[in-house]
Amino acid sequence: MSWSDPFQYEFMRTALLVGALVGTVCAVLSCFLVLKGWSLMGDAISHAVLPGIVIAYLAGVPLAIGAFASGLLCAVGSGFIRANSRVKEDTVLGVVFTGLFAFGLVMFTKIETDQHLNHVLFGSLLGIPRAQVVQTVTVGMGVLVVTLVRSKDLLLFCFDVTHARSIGLPTGRLNYLLLSLVALAIVSAMQAVGIILVVAMLVTPGCVGFLLADRFPKMMLWAVGSAVLSCLAGVYASYFLNGSTGACIVLVQALFFGMALVGSPKRGLLARRRMRLIATNGAGWANSPTALGN
Amino acid sequence: MSGVPDQSRPDSLGVEVDEVTVTYNNGHVAVVDASFRLRAGTICALVGINGSGKSTLFKTIMGFLLPAKGSVRIAGESVAAAQRKNWVAYVPQAEEVDWTFPVSVWDVVMMGRYGYMNFLRLPGAEDRSRVEESLRRVQMWDYRDRQIGELSGGQKKRVFLARALAQQGRVILLDEPFTGVDVKTEGAIIELLRELRAAGHIMLVSTHNLGSVPEFCDHTVIINRTVLAAGPTSEVFTEQNLSRAFGGVLRHFRFDESTIQKHDGRAVTVLTDDERPLVFGKDGHVEYRERSGRESVVKERAQSEDDD
Amino acid sequence: MDSWLVPFHYGYMLKAMWVSALVGCVCGLLSCFVTLKGWSLMGDALSHAIVPGVALAYLAGAPFALGAFFSGLLAALGMGFVKSRTGLREDAVIGIVFTTFFAAGLLLISVFPTNVSLKTVVFGNLLGISADDVRQVAAIGGVTLAVLALKWRDLVLVCFDPNQARTLGFSVRGLNLTLLILLAATAVAAMQTVGACLVVAMLVTPGATAYLLTDRFGRMLCLAGALGTGTSFAGAYMSYFLNGSTGGCIVVLQTLLFLAALVFAPKHGMLAGRLRRREALEGRQ
Repeated sequence: MSWSDPFQYEFMRTALLVGALVGTVCAVLSCFLVLKGWSLMGDAISHAVLPGIVIAYLAGVPLAIGAFASGLLCAVGSGFIRANSRVKEDTVLGVVFTGLFAFGLVMFTKIETDQHLNHVLFGSLLGIPRAQVVQTVTVGMGVLVVTLVRSKDLLLFCFDVTHARSIGLPTGRLNYLLLSLVALAIVSAMQAVGIILVVAMLVTPGCVGFLLADRFPKMMLWAVGSAVLSCLAGVYASYFLNGSTGACIVLVQALFFGMALVGSPKRGLLARRRMRLIATNGAGWANSPTALGN
Repeated sequence: MSGVPDQSRPDSLGVEVDEVTVTYNNGHVAVVDASFRLRAGTICALVGINGSGKSTLFKTIMGFLLPAKGSVRIAGESVAAAQRKNWVAYVPQAEEVDWTFPVSVWDVVMMGRYGYMNFLRLPGAEDRSRVEESLRRVQMWDYRDRQIGELSGGQKKRVFLARALAQQGRVILLDEPFTGVDVKTEGAIIELLRELRAAGHIMLVSTHNLGSVPEFCDHTVIINRTVLAAGPTSEVFTEQNLSRAFGGVLRHFRFDESTIQKHDGRAVTVLTDDERPLVFGKDGHVEYRERSGRESVVKERAQSEDDD
Repeated sequence: MDSWLVPFHYGYMLKAMWVSALVGCVCGLLSCFVTLKGWSLMGDALSHAIVPGVALAYLAGAPFALGAFFSGLLAALGMGFVKSRTGLREDAVIGIVFTTFFAAGLLLISVFPTNVSLKTVVFGNLLGISADDVRQVAAIGGVTLAVLALKWRDLVLVCFDPNQARTLGFSVRGLNLTLLILLAATAVAAMQTVGACLVVAMLVTPGATAYLLTDRFGRMLCLAGALGTGTSFAGAYMSYFLNGSTGGCIVVLQTLLFLAALVFAPKHGMLAGRLRRREALEGRQ
């Protein structure tokens, strides 16, 4: 088996391209989610799409529509419960998404098990059918374009809702826009890595970017770069390992995160150790660039 | 002062809070029938204990909460309309801001201009010049490329003031502007607020720092779930009103009851962080609030005075 | 013969019902601590993080509980390490660590196919639970109940006011770790009944429901324990008729009860709040 084997196959080339696109879309969104503190939201929505998928499958409509609807139901429903009860936000999310997931599971086991649904749970980037490719690419590109066009408003929404509100931005609509984008990104990514691992794609790249950059555009570049590389490397590795593609992608992302964690110039373990040494030695390096910024 | 937006004439500007009642979903009534009016060129203090409805009233004026009854009007318009015209600016408390956020000082101040920009929020020449002018005005221009977490408490506060300036807000809401700020910056902020008042802005300052209120606020609104008193500070900021607002919470220090004696004369030092003041008499002697139980101290000090 | 008694005639159904009732009870009790401490995501994370341990244990022929337990604990320690060393938000760190563990488990299972199927781990297989597994679940449940019975007051204090606990000379770290270990152990037990994906529901929903119904911690514990036991028993029973996933039935029941409490709870429910609000407004006029 030579290193170039994977590229001879049409399905591998498709997988690499689709993986890179999905990685880009999720990475861009992950920057916003990490900054907003919505990592759990990605987890919740990705589980909550299950009942929608099953219902859509039964009704014969595109799975993406059902997934989107039930993902959004989770976000809206937990927002409603949060506003109307004294239960903490993370608890509410936990209750709502598991409730929806369980409901989906009951229906899922009731109907004839179908390989197709299994793919939704664990992903099957290598066996992705043509129609699915078109759907994933369309949804992914749509999410990417909308996110980039509205990125400044979304960033302000994450940073300071009060100010966004006071200059007349429709914060309620931005809230639902971001939630919808997340739901759509999950819909487009679930084919690649499966709904259980999609949360990794929506959290890890953003954290890598956060560790390596202290300006938003740079953060996004790092996030996208690491995500695309992980997707390519993950797909490639899964060919040789003959293992789950989604799992390989997520593990490569985790590797990148580990590297950023150790080597980040400002927030990394090594940098922190150096800062501590400077602080305890009180040496003349106190004016190092890290201490002053820039 | 530059940057007076053309869409509003200073004399027509005003904030009218009319019989506002705000309730939360769980049935808690946070503010009842609150009414007050502010005219252009005012610095108004919003004073009350924690839980008195200060932040609820702030949120209502910013349109975050809709009153169950009553209305808030800014220059005769609804809050939403006023916001669309960029009339309302807000300077948040330091605790509300995520200081690890990957944005620079320049980025934050530029956010004040979003309301004037196109759909893509691409800054134009005017936006850039306004941001520069605002940053220079609060002496933060040299720090424009810093990430916001790398600033001191006073610098952080000035960045958000610059954002309000860049936004050209006519009504500026400041939430506890002096917490975590050094004395020098506090002076500079007060100076800036006075300049803005002269230019016809309305500043509403929520604070528990009572000592600084008479110094720079010409109006005061005292609330405890409703407006207890509102008007010029000289009329409203009385012991009687404050006692009603703060009840037993406000610490009284009465010299005639304390171990302070006549020989301390004017050599009294008062140290306070808005809680109970620490008072030193002559020669750095710690004074106790009540004489009862401290008779020996009083006697001893009186004797040493006689000896001199 | 009454058809609703049918499940009680089958040994495997009886076993499924009492095993899930035990797991439900333990999870219900723990869920009170989880909701009050704000550890909901932690429960989710632990339940996913035990998957590689299960896979490895099966590969090595060791008891699955042992592997699961250690991999859960390793994940928890990893999260603590990453969080203390970076400026990242806790939820993001938890998200990264648990997905990494889950992905590792998934890869292991897909590369080395064993008799443990992915579906069993992720969705549980209560009806096909082996005698060995039952013994492991019973042991975990018994130990957890014993620890809770002895230490629940200390744990409540740590959840409510860690500083006070510290001044009283308690080891806050030790108690936190105890809670974490109990959680990991319970997640392992619950994985058998409802699967890794739904464990978090068992560890959150009963506590959240009880929190809406009462203001006393003691009562909250009793309520949550009863809710967990009852719903798990009834869910297992129902799954016989629905012919659906046992875990799914249990969690759907729990969610329905939560929604009922959300609307109708006497003091903290939505109806009560609305009523109070109207009265307050009318009272003013």
